[in-house]
Amino acid sequence: MKHSMDSPPESSPAGRSGGPSLTVNPRHTLLRVGIVAAIGLLVAAAVQTIGPGGTWTGLVVLGAAAAVAELIALRPAGRAPLSFFYAVIVVIVRAASTGQYFAILAGALALVALVCVAGPLAPRAAVFACRAVGGSLAWVGYAIVTHAHGPGDGRYEVLVALAVALILGLLGDDAVQWALIRVAPSTRGREADLALIASGILMAVGYRGIGSQPDLGLWGPFVFAVPLLGAWYSFERLRSIRTTYEQTIEALSAVPELGGLARRGHAMRVASLGVRLGRELGLDRRTLEQLRTAALLHHLGHLCLDDPQVRGRDIEPGEVADKGAEILRESTVLAPSGDILASDSASLASQVLRAASIIDELTEGDESRLGLALEVLDSGPGYVYDPRVVAAVERVARRADLVATAAR
Amino acid sequence: MTEQSRSTTVFCIALAGLSAALAVALEIRGASVDGAAVLLLGGLFLLAENESVTLPNNVSWSPSFMLAMAAVVVFRAHGALLGPLYVGMFGGAYLPQIRRRAWRKVLFNAGNFGLSTFATALVYHGFSVGFTGTVGGQILAGIAGALAFAAVNTALIGAIMMLSSHARVGDVVREGWTAGWQIVPFALLGVFLGRLYLEYGAVMVPLFVVPIFIARQTFASFLEFRASHEAAVSILIGALEAKDAYTAGHAERVAKYAHYIGLELNLTPARLERLRFAALMHDVGKLVVPNHLLNKPGRLTPAEFELVRRHEPVSVEILTRIDFLAPVAPSATSEHTHYRPVADEHGQPIEPHIVAVADAYDAMTSTRSYRRALTQQVAFEELRRNAAVQFHPRVVEALISALRRRGEVHGAGHEEDVHAFAVPPPVAGLGSAGLGDLLPESGEVTSR
Repeated sequence: MKHSMDSPPESSPAGRSGGPSLTVNPRHTLLRVGIVAAIGLLVAAAVQTIGPGGTWTGLVVLGAAAAVAELIALRPAGRAPLSFFYAVIVVIVRAASTGQYFAILAGALALVALVCVAGPLAPRAAVFACRAVGGSLAWVGYAIVTHAHGPGDGRYEVLVALAVALILGLLGDDAVQWALIRVAPSTRGREADLALIASGILMAVGYRGIGSQPDLGLWGPFVFAVPLLGAWYSFERLRSIRTTYEQTIEALSAVPELGGLARRGHAMRVASLGVRLGRELGLDRRTLEQLRTAALLHHLGHLCLDDPQVRGRDIEPGEVADKGAEILRESTVLAPSGDILASDSASLASQVLRAASIIDELTEGDESRLGLALEVLDSGPGYVYDPRVVAAVERVARRADLVATAAR
Repeated sequence: MTEQSRSTTVFCIALAGLSAALAVALEIRGASVDGAAVLLLGGLFLLAENESVTLPNNVSWSPSFMLAMAAVVVFRAHGALLGPLYVGMFGGAYLPQIRRRAWRKVLFNAGNFGLSTFATALVYHGFSVGFTGTVGGQILAGIAGALAFAAVNTALIGAIMMLSSHARVGDVVREGWTAGWQIVPFALLGVFLGRLYLEYGAVMVPLFVVPIFIARQTFASFLEFRASHEAAVSILIGALEAKDAYTAGHAERVAKYAHYIGLELNLTPARLERLRFAALMHDVGKLVVPNHLLNKPGRLTPAEFELVRRHEPVSVEILTRIDFLAPVAPSATSEHTHYRPVADEHGQPIEPHIVAVADAYDAMTSTRSYRRALTQQVAFEELRRNAAVQFHPRVVEALISALRRRGEVHGAGHEEDVHAFAVPPPVAGLGSAGLGDLLPESGEVTSR
């Protein structure tokens, strides 16, 4: 039985965002958190025995907390996972001296490296580069603002310095991500950043206080992390329901194929090509999502039609699509996809869907024959396939080097 | 205006009047509060109430109590009771109710929140004498305050419900206390928010409130997404199923029965959700079976039967592809749902057995191309006769008692849709899932 349900990243516009993350396997997260916390507490206990009463004990506990926090991330749609790491790091920025800070930062990253030993090396290394740069920039941001202010602990200066530290840290993280693994910073899902920045500032103030005000000590960061954990829980629920829905649609897309009505993988390939063409033609994200659903379900109508030998006539062109459109239009969520699927629709998305479907037929599911399919499309009369769509196919094929330039 | 409605009105006015009188009395005795603090905390309280989320179990949930608790901590000395009272009264201005001009509800909410928050302040300050200032003492006092809030709130809501709809006291109290415990975590957050406010001023409040509102907003979109997409999937399945007039609505009904059984067996909400979804999808493989075979009134040839049998592996493959359903994918096979009394039950999910029983019950109580609907009594007897042989006995009994309790009757004479038959279906034969068994060669079952 095949389980190739992970769509290629470009095929899903909803974006199961592919940023670097160590939180890939949720099953082992708890175990890892336990190991990191245990090691951190052991080190803290050792530090406490060697030099009781110093600032180091609390900082070591916070370092372990930063390592644990690395394993938890806010994952809103369309944004690379945002790890809790920075919320804890800013607490340490506020409480530690320069030497202490970088020692704890290095220790925390080493601790993370110790428990995250699975998966390919390159993306894991990218995560450490991101955190090291982001962590250093957070320190730089905090230092600049507090130095500009001079000695003393003003309430607004501390709050601004913490905010600048977090913003610089997150920007640095984004920049390294983009430089190393080409994950472009997204404008979506930034409410997660807002939550993290607000909570991070509070956690830092809770631990160390401002001026002569009493602080909450280690209680502070943990108590003020609670709202952030609430946000994390909500984002996880939303993500899992989204995944279930996407998987349901993808699974249903396979029914006509399992019933022998279409070539295996046809729906997924048409969806993938359709989304690429749609993106090439500048369709917006929402339309791309609707197009993808329409492409996945475009053979579903076939299931509801009687066998040709039973009803005594062949299935007309467009009949399958129209039956499918009729079904999709029954639900509000799926209706826009039904409109794209309908055979009499002239929208650009519909043109893309029709072209993608016929291309998959012509190439028999083998994309390396895209050039061949393109020639067939090109030789047909122009009114059958939208010239804009044909041009987009050509660009996609050329980019993949599937069409001989000389032949054009 | 009925007498019932009039007494409700009087109660609401009296409640709001009592809060207002309390405020006036406190003012006369020299209480005074910082107006800006009342506006900020009251405004946020209002915002939180307007942004409440209704959970699937109809409990409305909002972080507003956190702000009431913060107000209790923030106002001290002369305003210790007046401040929380004002902040609570703010909460009544629930915008949709004002827009609908539901003044009674507005008055009731203002009075209810005002008095509940006032009670919280009374208990909190009474409790924290002795350990003022310590974090632990404030937390304890906060929990006591939260319970006071829940008690007053439950009493007042109970009173209005009994006035307006004759609700039972027991139900009201039970619901109130469940909701009451849920606000305890918010009491703790409120205590810390209040401390922050006292130590650093209002600038800290947004830092605290923003992540909570983002969490709430995201949770609301989760609930919305779930509702709309669950509907989309069930409509999709329903529409596909409609190709076979005999089994139209089958998946939806099996999902309903499975849900009843799950409730009866005390499954957790997460498992109930998965069970409903799995039941909805259990027959998805049937879609690959050509229509004319599904609707064939008589006996299937062995070749046709093979074609029909193909639906089970397809169903399993489809279910396996959905991570959420993969653990219960065997729901789709008759082989795996067959109950074996000797099998070790530990670690084996019961969901496949639930779907099997729900499926068989619906198959027996609806008319199929090969048989008319049986009566509920016959279906029950048939399930019981095969319990421990084919069906899980506990699941069978759960279905029967769930249906009896709800007084639902299905089967012959109680079907939702009455079919017009091209070929009248036979009266006998039990079958399963609408797929038609291989009937005996001799054709001892005849059409009527």
